Amino acid sequence: MAARLLLRSSIRAATTCRAAPFPILTRGMAAGGIPTDEEQATGLEKIVMKAAQQGADPYSMLKPKEYAGSKADPHLVPSITTKRIVGCVCEEDNTAVVWFWLHQGEAQRCPSCGSHYKLMPHELPH
Amino acid sequence: MAHQAHAYHMVDPSPWPLTGAIAALLLTSGTAVWFHFHSLTLLTMGNILLLLTMYQWWRDIIREGTFQGHHTPPVQKGLRYGMILFITSEVFFFLGFFWAFYHSSLAPSPELGGCWPPTGIITLDPFEVPLLNTAVLLASGVTVTWAHHSIMEGERKQTVQALTLTILLGFYFTFLQGMEYYEAPFTIADGVYGSTFFVATGFHGLHVIIGSTFLAICLLRQIQYHFTSEHHFGFEAAAWYWHFVDVVWLFLYVSIYWWGS
Repeated sequence: MAARLLLRSSIRAATTCRAAPFPILTRGMAAGGIPTDEEQATGLEKIVMKAAQQGADPYSMLKPKEYAGSKADPHLVPSITTKRIVGCVCEEDNTAVVWFWLHQGEAQRCPSCGSHYKLMPHELPH
Repeated sequence: MAHQAHAYHMVDPSPWPLTGAIAALLLTSGTAVWFHFHSLTLLTMGNILLLLTMYQWWRDIIREGTFQGHHTPPVQKGLRYGMILFITSEVFFFLGFFWAFYHSSLAPSPELGGCWPPTGIITLDPFEVPLLNTAVLLASGVTVTWAHHSIMEGERKQTVQALTLTILLGFYFTFLQGMEYYEAPFTIADGVYGSTFFVATGFHGLHVIIGSTFLAICLLRQIQYHFTSEHHFGFEAAAWYWHFVDVVWLFLYVSIYWWGS
């Protein structure tokens, strides 16, 4: 099976080399024959890659940004709907997390430490 | 595309875990039946089901990653962790056989003549075929690294050449080791020397065959343009496994072939 595949691909390689100029058809031949992610990535991997190139992180893969949590600089919480649960670790190493729903609209404050949180609409590529 | 707010892969329902579990049941019960009742039916069915499961499960993973793009960076990270943990478990597997070897060889019992190698055992010369085997595997480590760098640099022809060479070296090792097994002056039944020698080197040989197969699949995938210069984890996993096989051999060579002779 491998021999047949090798034969088929070597025939294909020999004929495409002659038909050269179209970079799309030669699949990375210009670069040496191995495609790049830019040429070949697909599906969610491609969406993530394209977004990262624009500096966006639609799937929240990176650590959230740090905010002061004050009225002027509230924690901005991205959400795909109109509310999201927030868990506030008021002081470092606290074991009791303060959970509450954060709703769209004015910034809310953590019932324990008073840090400000504001819901931010978050767009998902579909 | 699924509507999810995360970059992880929620896998579709699959029958292969079930068929794999059934294969495991058939293999274990089949081995017992073979031992006691001399029938190979269950064992054969188990082997066929195992091969079918492996082929279809891994084919589905290739479809999900390469053709559907589900292997985003966090998913790939998980796959890396998975392969590393698996190889670690294999390290412990071999550690057991080395433990057995050193247990018997460091303090040889009176039944063996109080010496290692035991009385009457004609050992293999470590500087003949075993040394050649060492060179072969070390060379294959170089060629697989060459293949990796070729992929990263987008060099298709060199990748195919280097990967093919690696696989050929793997086959050469297996062939040489097969010849050694055939010509060896001792067998697995020759006391604890035979047991430790053939179980340790035998499992190593099995891992060489598995590693060669994994690399061969990578060669087929490379020819079919599956790998990109940035994303080629299947190849990396095969290369890690191959390096592990090489390292195990080095320990085997130094411990059993050289020190133990």
